[in-house]
Amino acid sequence: MKRATQSTETPQVGRSVPRLESWLKVTGRAEYVHNLRLPGMLYGKIFRSSVAHGRIKRIDVSAARALGGVHSVMTGEDVRRLVPDPYYGPAFHDQPVLALDKVRYVGEPVAVVLASDPHVAEEATHLIVAEYEALPAVYDEVAAMTSKAIVHDVLKPAGTFPDLKHFKGRTDTNVALDFHLRRGDAKKALAGAHRVFEHRFRTQQVMHTPLEPLVSVAESTETSLTLHTASQSPSFVRSEVARLLGWPENRVRVRVPYMGGGFGAKLYIKLEALVAVLSLLTRRAVKISLTMEEQFFTITKHASTFRIKSGVSADGRIVARECEVWWNGGAYADIGPRITQKSGFTAPGPYDIDNVLIDSYALYTNLPPAGALRGFGIPQLVWAYESHTDMMARALGIDPVEFRRRNLLRDGRPQATGTVMRDAAIEKVLERVAVLLDWKNPFDRGSGALRRGRGIAVGFKACVSPTTSLAAVNVNADGSCIVYCSTTDMGQGSDTAMAQIAGEVLNMAAESVTVVHSDTDVTPYDMATLGSRSLFHMGNAVKLAAEDAKKKLDQLRNELGLPADAEIPDIFKRKYGMQAGNVVGTGSYVPTYKSPDENGLTDSATPFWMVGGTGVELEVDTETGRVRITRLVNVADVGTPINPRIVETQLSGASIMQLGFTLHEKMQFDADGQLRNASLAEYKIPGLLDIPQEIVNEAVVAEQKTGPFGAKGVGETGTFSVSPAIANAIEDAVGVRLTSLPMTPEAVFMQLQESK
Amino acid sequence: MRREIRFRLNGEAVSAQVAPHETLVELLQEGFGLYGARESCGQGLCGCCTVLVDGRAVSGCLYLASLVEDSDVRTIEDGGELDAVQQAFIEASGFQCGFCTPGFVLMTRQLLDEIPDPSEDDIKHYLSGNLCRCGAYPEIIAAVKLAARKRKGV
Amino acid sequence: MLMMKAGVLRPARLVSLRKLNLDSISNGKDGVLVVGAMTTLRELERSAAVKEGWPVITRALRTLSNVRVRNVATVGGALAHADPHMDLPPLLSALGARATIAGPQGERSAPIESLYAGYLENTLRRGELITHIEIPPLGKRRAAYLKCTTRSADDWPALGMAVVLDGGEARIWVSAATDKPTRLLAAEKILKGQITDEKALRQAGAAAAEEVHIESDLHGSADYKKQLIRVYLARAVHEARNAVH
Repeated sequence: MKRATQSTETPQVGRSVPRLESWLKVTGRAEYVHNLRLPGMLYGKIFRSSVAHGRIKRIDVSAARALGGVHSVMTGEDVRRLVPDPYYGPAFHDQPVLALDKVRYVGEPVAVVLASDPHVAEEATHLIVAEYEALPAVYDEVAAMTSKAIVHDVLKPAGTFPDLKHFKGRTDTNVALDFHLRRGDAKKALAGAHRVFEHRFRTQQVMHTPLEPLVSVAESTETSLTLHTASQSPSFVRSEVARLLGWPENRVRVRVPYMGGGFGAKLYIKLEALVAVLSLLTRRAVKISLTMEEQFFTITKHASTFRIKSGVSADGRIVARECEVWWNGGAYADIGPRITQKSGFTAPGPYDIDNVLIDSYALYTNLPPAGALRGFGIPQLVWAYESHTDMMARALGIDPVEFRRRNLLRDGRPQATGTVMRDAAIEKVLERVAVLLDWKNPFDRGSGALRRGRGIAVGFKACVSPTTSLAAVNVNADGSCIVYCSTTDMGQGSDTAMAQIAGEVLNMAAESVTVVHSDTDVTPYDMATLGSRSLFHMGNAVKLAAEDAKKKLDQLRNELGLPADAEIPDIFKRKYGMQAGNVVGTGSYVPTYKSPDENGLTDSATPFWMVGGTGVELEVDTETGRVRITRLVNVADVGTPINPRIVETQLSGASIMQLGFTLHEKMQFDADGQLRNASLAEYKIPGLLDIPQEIVNEAVVAEQKTGPFGAKGVGETGTFSVSPAIANAIEDAVGVRLTSLPMTPEAVFMQLQESK
Repeated sequence: MRREIRFRLNGEAVSAQVAPHETLVELLQEGFGLYGARESCGQGLCGCCTVLVDGRAVSGCLYLASLVEDSDVRTIEDGGELDAVQQAFIEASGFQCGFCTPGFVLMTRQLLDEIPDPSEDDIKHYLSGNLCRCGAYPEIIAAVKLAARKRKGV
Repeated sequence: MLMMKAGVLRPARLVSLRKLNLDSISNGKDGVLVVGAMTTLRELERSAAVKEGWPVITRALRTLSNVRVRNVATVGGALAHADPHMDLPPLLSALGARATIAGPQGERSAPIESLYAGYLENTLRRGELITHIEIPPLGKRRAAYLKCTTRSADDWPALGMAVVLDGGEARIWVSAATDKPTRLLAAEKILKGQITDEKALRQAGAAAAEEVHIESDLHGSADYKKQLIRVYLARAVHEARNAVH
């Protein structure tokens, strides 16, 4: 593709620029870590625990080691030779590089076989024998609160987060965070309410299944380590691996090319610490590529239980709400405690409620670890509070849209934390969903075995805070431009958006801007690509960096006596006598933030709010329980879109992903914690035949005043409200209420039977 | 136990030493440095490993390399300029992360060879063995329709 | 191949059957269609003769796995695999098809349904191979095959139901919910001469759900799959009655 540098007055933001990497992707030439082979590289294959909770008595690797072609076999004890305290994690230092002393879930990595031929390594894993002394296990998040089975003997918070410090050294508990918010007096208001409603909801454990499974490669010398990894958080990987090794960060380099999907699966440390240690132990390059099956044993989405209770006044106003949420974090905390708090405080939903009580608990259990998955806990919460909202409206005989209108949290009003809402178009989103569903007019309700219904839901999210992004923008002597940032493009289109932002500031066509992929030796620090934070945080940083470069160019024009409209190449020619030199602008962005007080309250909880509403029209086959979505309407407040087309595809794609989590995806465990469906043959994700007949995606006219050119994040927004909108539509169609995900045909049918 | 096979790869006569258990994807990656066909689900369900053998799409992760002996093998890397299908996928935003895209492009080529003017139902059924976790399905359907129009020169 | 990749099968040798010339579709005596066991599912799907004479097979193949798999998978393999989630065994059983089996003792012919002993268990003897299948002409019979998936649409079936109507009689085979293709004799008996009677269809559905043994699995509970049988029996009969060919 030709990449001429063009100076242009055409606006670059608000334009649907095709992705910069389009050619690479349609020709199969995009670089993924999956493709990387290094000279002398060893392949690692992982031997995994077969028990959910047990003390390791013996690991016999002798037969594996003796197999022809095997280079070596490593266990946790080998890791300990290099790293005396080999535990990592963003919230707790609880996860060993390879299991030590104990295993805590079925599928936990226990040993690794290394060989030049991956088939040999795989073969050898079958020759390893491990013996465990079984320990009692706990799988349910609510049971974990009081269970005698304790997953971790002693809690070891990472020390990064102030609200986790008091967990240090705790024993006899599975609680990895308890977040409490108290605003007004919920108990009293409930006691005095006209009507009180209480419901309990469940969500199931699911997996991201990025089609490029997790993969990392390490190469090392005596004093340096390079990781090529499919990671959404290269800066975190660098600091955490450096910490484990006791090295300064400048000796660890982390490179991330394109990623074949991430959705939160590729955050923090996954395989990186393991390949790093293996490379240092063997002095060889080491690659570990997980299979699709192995991904299910690596990171998942939290199952959850949510008890919600609301008091409503005689005029249909919600006067009090109590929320109790239990998050099933699995065997290692990963980022679960942050989800518990950062998402926990939005549990009362986008409603203006004076009296709120929230208790949100992160629990350890003996299941594969859970972390972030496209929404950071928000889809689980919206599922509960928007189902609850509809159930109350129906019980009160108020139209569900009207009931929401009466209670909506409007700009200028304080959210549960006390933070005043700004630039959150909740009302606009609700009203647009209603218009697009033609809510005020009657609806064809079907006949015979096929009954039709429609439903609406609106959810919101506070972007995680505080987080930092830095960027650099380099203008070369020929006038071409390079953006350096550690935001990783896993398909969300960040490269294109950053090019548009830089191009807008510098009057260059976005197509002519190059975005350097994350390389911690080259690209500046970024907290991570997660939680829809990048467009806002990194977008602001890139904008600042581009403005800095522009200012420097203007200064040069001035110093050199050039006219204000002098072309960039002429500046450098004048300055250096030839095409030479460059100008680098830098930008850093960290929003204001205030930690919550002892009541969970703060006046600055988040830099921006994301709002997503969904409307659904569907058909229920009352004989089989099968639900067919005929129309899906996604409406969002994304601020002012930088790239309207990409925004639309993000909303659409997120909603389709959430459809899978809503209607059929579920990790199925047996009574011993063994996963029964760890493959795409038995864990079915939505395909082309599963998408709704019609999907409408719309961004309301809005502006995030603090965002780059009025924009904010969108990656997760489309997931928020899909599940409750479907449950609400099912009740509308056939009069039964489902309170547990997924809503399989069988679940719907059984509910219909029960209601008879 | 390796044996030599000869076949045509993207129009060129080639030979390779293959082991009996080796899959076509492994051969393409290890033997020829072609990474456009890639293993993901490992079970023939996702289509990321799609390769055309004698004009028929196969799952390269389940297809034994030794079976391509004397065959004509085409991968996404075949050809120079973008064809109508690839152009249509770009114009219709028919991908996000791009990992599944080569498979969708190759399957679409085969679909349009067989059914030049496919209905939406044809498209959904023909491509139902290709998964896209980014959920770009509506855009992919639009891309296939656009590719059909482009091929007809409309 | 899948089982080999998963390490369930660890063969010492792989034998290719490709050069046995068993990949043709031809017309036998009395309108019988003879399909070589190495014929790919895709060739069967695209065969003009099949589409003309047995359109129910063409339709069933459209949702059998995916195009790439059908491009490679063979008719003989699909039958011998004995996975109850396969679509062809119940359909070919209902159509009255037979398999020709070659072995050390020579050739024998057997009804398709006799190939199955249980879950992933076929009745082929050591050294035997399916070489051909023979499908009798549909004639005036009307046929339908319905597949019900309970997770994604491209899933393996939770229930596969084949119905062949011959005048007032129905031949009904079910699979996927059962561990091998199973004929619903009690249902057939109720429907005799009453295939247009809605009440008889409901009774037949109820009888069908009772006459087969069903286990709960990842596709659904036994109770739910019995409900699917009740519902799909009538639906399949309706579809067969309205089948045009």
